Amino acid sequence: MNKSLIELKNVTMKFGGVTALSDVTFDVKEKEILGLIGPNGAGKTTVFNVITGVYQITSGEIIFDGKSLAGVKRYKITKRGIARTFQNIRLWGDMTALENVMTAADTHKKSGLVSGLFGFPISRREEKRDKARAQELLDFIGIGEYSDRLAKNLPYGVQRRLEIARAMGAEPKLLLLDEPAAGFNPAEKVELAATIRKIRDAGYTVLLIEHDMSLVMKVSDRVVVLDFGQKIADDSPRNVQDDKRVIEAYLGVPEDAS
Amino acid sequence: MFNLRDKGAEIWENQGRIGRIVIAVGAIAIVAALPFMGGTFLNTPVADYESVLVYPIAMFVLMAIGLNIVIGKSGLLDLGYVAFFAIGAYTMGLLGTKTDLNTWEILPIGIAMAMFSGIILGVPALKLRGDYLAIITLGFGEIVRIVALNLGALGRSEGIQGIPTPPGIFGIEYAFDSHRIYYWTLLILILLAIWMVRRLSARRAGRAWESIRQDEDAAELLGVPTFKYKVWAFVLGASVGGAAGVLYASKTLFIAPDNFTLQISILILACVVFGGMGNIWGVILGAVILGYLPDRIRFLSEARLLVFGLVLVIMMNLRPDGILPRKKREKAIVKKDAS
Repeated sequence: MNKSLIELKNVTMKFGGVTALSDVTFDVKEKEILGLIGPNGAGKTTVFNVITGVYQITSGEIIFDGKSLAGVKRYKITKRGIARTFQNIRLWGDMTALENVMTAADTHKKSGLVSGLFGFPISRREEKRDKARAQELLDFIGIGEYSDRLAKNLPYGVQRRLEIARAMGAEPKLLLLDEPAAGFNPAEKVELAATIRKIRDAGYTVLLIEHDMSLVMKVSDRVVVLDFGQKIADDSPRNVQDDKRVIEAYLGVPEDAS
Repeated sequence: MFNLRDKGAEIWENQGRIGRIVIAVGAIAIVAALPFMGGTFLNTPVADYESVLVYPIAMFVLMAIGLNIVIGKSGLLDLGYVAFFAIGAYTMGLLGTKTDLNTWEILPIGIAMAMFSGIILGVPALKLRGDYLAIITLGFGEIVRIVALNLGALGRSEGIQGIPTPPGIFGIEYAFDSHRIYYWTLLILILLAIWMVRRLSARRAGRAWESIRQDEDAAELLGVPTFKYKVWAFVLGASVGGAAGVLYASKTLFIAPDNFTLQISILILACVVFGGMGNIWGVILGAVILGYLPDRIRFLSEARLLVFGLVLVIMMNLRPDGILPRKKREKAIVKKDAS
């Protein structure tokens, strides 16, 4: 088995009196697709938010690539190799698709404002390199023909894919996908599943939040199930589907059985 | 008129290198020739036309370009921009009267002072967002003016008098009343500022600002060092304001706190919004119109401010995004081969 890329150890996240995550422990192995599922309000997006530094965890520890993420600034977490998409699309609408990806790619540039202003060779070189890479990424995701279009004018499905391409632009080791199939029709979901596998085969590790069970079960190597902020299962897709607690969490407990 | 922006962009994009140089040189030549058009309909009836070209018009244009980096590009509402103008002007006033340095030597010092104060204001203030940032910058603008009003070394309400004019360069003399020389000097500064903004907009800094303006949290989460780039926007905006201030002091020879009121901040902000936030040509046009109009209609005497306000209200209703709004044109979709 591959070694862990990221480990959550006894992570607890409290908002005032509400406990969004309670003593959650799991890891994502390198080059793995881990599905993170659970009923609404189970704390899935909160997991993303604590990993990316939006919230500081109340207790516990998050280790990424051998180092703790405690107190690391958000943009530096991205630089270390974690990038995400958003459940509700949050592209920069007034920028083109290509610029959206390039902005994320700027994370790893050595040249900044001053070398850009005076046109130093390093700035020109990096600009050229990242422009080519951004176009490659758009092609890779299958939306290369939209590169010059403003993000806000793109069709919904393309925007969802652009979210993924933009996150990949930041060259993450770990890619966090927050409901990438939301609003997709069955055909688009099949296509997306293929894309996610392709992303993994290209060397990325994927942590996937998704409500569509068939999609999650199809692409995931392993599935973690959250319910009311607690981990209730962590197993192969097949075993998770047969897990009694998981079924109860989703369907409820029959009255005569309780 | 309605599609002026798109039309202009289209003409520009369809030109080769030579065509663009011809357009740019032609446009600069026309603008540089403006001081000779005093006899035409452009003339301002009461005030001296050439001096109106220098202040407010050229001065407003320069400051509006600077403020546009902060407000238009990065979406940071700065209501105290006049502070940087004042700091540039007082640097010129103090050093010009107390030392042997001349205007050209003081110009970089004034710019550096403005940039430094941009950091001083920006580092604490830019941790805040939206309305809170606006309130802090508003306060900063007032603080600078009130310090100038109370500090003995800055002349209190009398200000600083006898500020020297710039020494001549290349045989061009800067006499007090040779307005066109000042106008051309400002034109060079304006061109430099345009070059700076256009250059930065096309690269990493421009994308960082744009992403911050549209969704700061998303920007931060996708690796944009938002705080650093917000401070940069402040500092670069301040540098332009400082440069304008140095020239202003060296032109009017006399400065006082009354020249640096909140009203200037609001007027420059109006130029940016009126012209079209984020679009440098719109901002320039806005500054030209708002600088020029009050003097053009001065024959209306007391009623002119009323008319001026009315024009603003009508315009903002007709074109809420400004005369030449931002919004890039989309190129046609390039269809890829199906094979």
